[in-house]
Amino acid sequence: MSLWNELRYYGGTALGLSALRVARWQAESRGRSAVRQRESVLAPPLFISPRTKELIGRHYLKSRYVKPGQKVVWATSGAPIEFLKALDYYVLYPENHGAVCGTMRRAEELCSQAENAGYSRDLCSYARTDIGSVLSGQTPVGHLARPDLLLACTNICQTVLFWYRVLAQHFGVPLVLIDTPFIYTEVSPHDIAFVKRQIEEAIPVAEKVAGRTMEARRLEEVALLSREASQLWAEIIARGRHRPAPLSVFDQFIQMAPVVEMRGEAFTVDFYAAMLKEVELRIARGIGVVRNERKRLLWDNLPIWYRLRYLAEHLGLHGISIVASTYTNAWGELAERIDSRDPIEGMAQTYIYPILNRGAGDKLATMKRMVADFHLDGAILHSDRSCKPYSIGQMDQRERLMRECGIPALLLEADHNDPRAYTEEQVANRLDAFIEMMGV
Amino acid sequence: MAAVFPIHYARELLRAFEIQPMEVWGPPGIGLSKGAARLQPYVCTIVQNALAFVESGNLDAVDLLLVPHACDSLQGLGSILTDFVKPRQPVLTLYMPRGQRDSDVDFLADELRALYHRLEAITGRAPSDRELMDAIRREEAADALLTELHRNRPNLPFTDEAFYRLVRSREYLPTEQFIEIAQQCRAGFQTRQPGRDVNPALRGIPLLLSGILPEPMSLFPALAEMGATVAADDLACCGRRLYPAGKSEEPFQRMAERLLGAAPDAMRGSPIQRRLDHLRELVQGSGARGVVFYDVKFCEPELFDLPLLRQGLSAAGIPSLALEVDLNDGLSQPMLNRLEAFLEMLK
Repeated sequence: MSLWNELRYYGGTALGLSALRVARWQAESRGRSAVRQRESVLAPPLFISPRTKELIGRHYLKSRYVKPGQKVVWATSGAPIEFLKALDYYVLYPENHGAVCGTMRRAEELCSQAENAGYSRDLCSYARTDIGSVLSGQTPVGHLARPDLLLACTNICQTVLFWYRVLAQHFGVPLVLIDTPFIYTEVSPHDIAFVKRQIEEAIPVAEKVAGRTMEARRLEEVALLSREASQLWAEIIARGRHRPAPLSVFDQFIQMAPVVEMRGEAFTVDFYAAMLKEVELRIARGIGVVRNERKRLLWDNLPIWYRLRYLAEHLGLHGISIVASTYTNAWGELAERIDSRDPIEGMAQTYIYPILNRGAGDKLATMKRMVADFHLDGAILHSDRSCKPYSIGQMDQRERLMRECGIPALLLEADHNDPRAYTEEQVANRLDAFIEMMGV
Repeated sequence: MAAVFPIHYARELLRAFEIQPMEVWGPPGIGLSKGAARLQPYVCTIVQNALAFVESGNLDAVDLLLVPHACDSLQGLGSILTDFVKPRQPVLTLYMPRGQRDSDVDFLADELRALYHRLEAITGRAPSDRELMDAIRREEAADALLTELHRNRPNLPFTDEAFYRLVRSREYLPTEQFIEIAQQCRAGFQTRQPGRDVNPALRGIPLLLSGILPEPMSLFPALAEMGATVAADDLACCGRRLYPAGKSEEPFQRMAERLLGAAPDAMRGSPIQRRLDHLRELVQGSGARGVVFYDVKFCEPELFDLPLLRQGLSAAGIPSLALEVDLNDGLSQPMLNRLEAFLEMLK
């Protein structure tokens, strides 16, 4: 490692981390005074929020000044990354980066960059955001480290494979594929065996790129940390069963970032342990995320990243809290499957089962369970133009929820990252009609 | 009889059970109202039409439905049929792996074995390995003839439309009948006089056609009228399904080898570079002067590859044109104008 690289790495990270810590202290201090002062339909943000922001900032800062010699992998959000963590890869998730761009209102310009290069506007807006960022070099996080390896797992959609093939061609780096057969009704032993074999075959490829050998014990440690973080996350979202709900899905959409992009880290486990304490404190004090909670809803599909605040406030005005989501639930519901004693088998058993890799009927069953468990009064199904696997089947699911659970359900047309596919006026009208139908 | 949805499946497995596959590529130009009740408008018309076709009772005569996995939209179709539509016939699915590794071949062989057992339960038949191998060899013979027809396209005395009607008859004709017809065509070009121009219809500007399917088929007469001809194709329903013979003597392994051995295809996860190399080879081998990407709107697998394929072709001095079609629309005038302008440029 050259002196300049060492200086750049240690100087850059030390300065950046200090700045992030100061920003967190300032935000925490502002948050405490806001509790006393602010009058809003929504409860003040969780005290842990500045720490979340710091964690996310740190994640991207470290990627900017990635440790000399450390290899970088770009992976899909649902990929079995434990073996990569065990090999000391720095793992970046283009989907999460896309979500950051969406919340920071930078996605539209990045999508346009991809469209100018010939990528159709009908393609997934995460993919367009990422490709636009890669082609233009622009990102709100400063800089994304170039990947040495790509890992695409088809358990969330086939789109990621098409997208990562583009990245592989662009960067000229190996693309490791973990193909997870779709579970229409039930999983077969040969499906699990196939996933396991691919993970086993991926390890030597990753070892070769990393220039090191994976230690079995390290893999077990990482798997255990992944399991603990996912368990804590499942515990936190289960607290939404309380009336009033201590946190909404809008909080969850933000707070889920560490369990998605920092799985397998001890600090992620500590973070969620602290968050769980705070949520329990809210329950003990009777603090609801929406003042005067009157109705409780389910959210299906990805968030509309660029309108989180608006939706939370618009619904909150009417005492409506969205307390459960199939999307955030996906990062906790499989925790028990992660097996640190037999991590590779455990990864195969876990990563084949995400909600997006299961049939539309199974997703309906999950939604019905949530309606019962969280005592929900209605459901909003975000028909997401950019996510076909999540959205196809929603028209039947909506009809069944209304008929079989006796709750109203709304299909809301939008796009998770591209604001050009979102019309505020139409959304407001549809929400207002839905609210009226619920008798609020 | 089985209704089979796009794209890749083992025809020989169905035939070993004496089930005749009839492929459902859309079909184009049907009323969408029934499909639209279950699918959002941003789903491609191949899937929209297929669902509308099932729901309208047009497939009531078939005994089972087979939905191979090819993309998120076809995955959704299989899922909706299984969980919500629940037609009177059994709905079977087949997961096509996205790689060409040994693990993919082995998995696909297992997947075909699982399908075998479902067919066994439905039909009460259990074809022996020998019967399976007979069916495989019959399909290999038909696919070899199909490949030969494609290779000898310039020597066949057909218009483009007639040629594609012939090769697409493989989507519904019993294999034996297809072989008979294909052999007659082969005899025609084998006996032709060297140097004699047997096909004046093919004197136009030669093009390579890429995409999913050439619908509406009126595309071909329109091209002919503009002075162009299709010299080769990279269509998912045609050129990407010229399956080679397998090597293994184990029937399921052999079927898997065949399915994964065809031309590169985004739906089977082929790297973009392989697709680009394949397109360049097709252009070189057929003498095509340009490539027309004729893609169905909302088809993500095709649309993702498009910019890099066009860029790679351009770097090799091969012009290309990208068109988007909706199966329920005819050929629009703006599209014809773009084609005409492209051909003018090639002249």
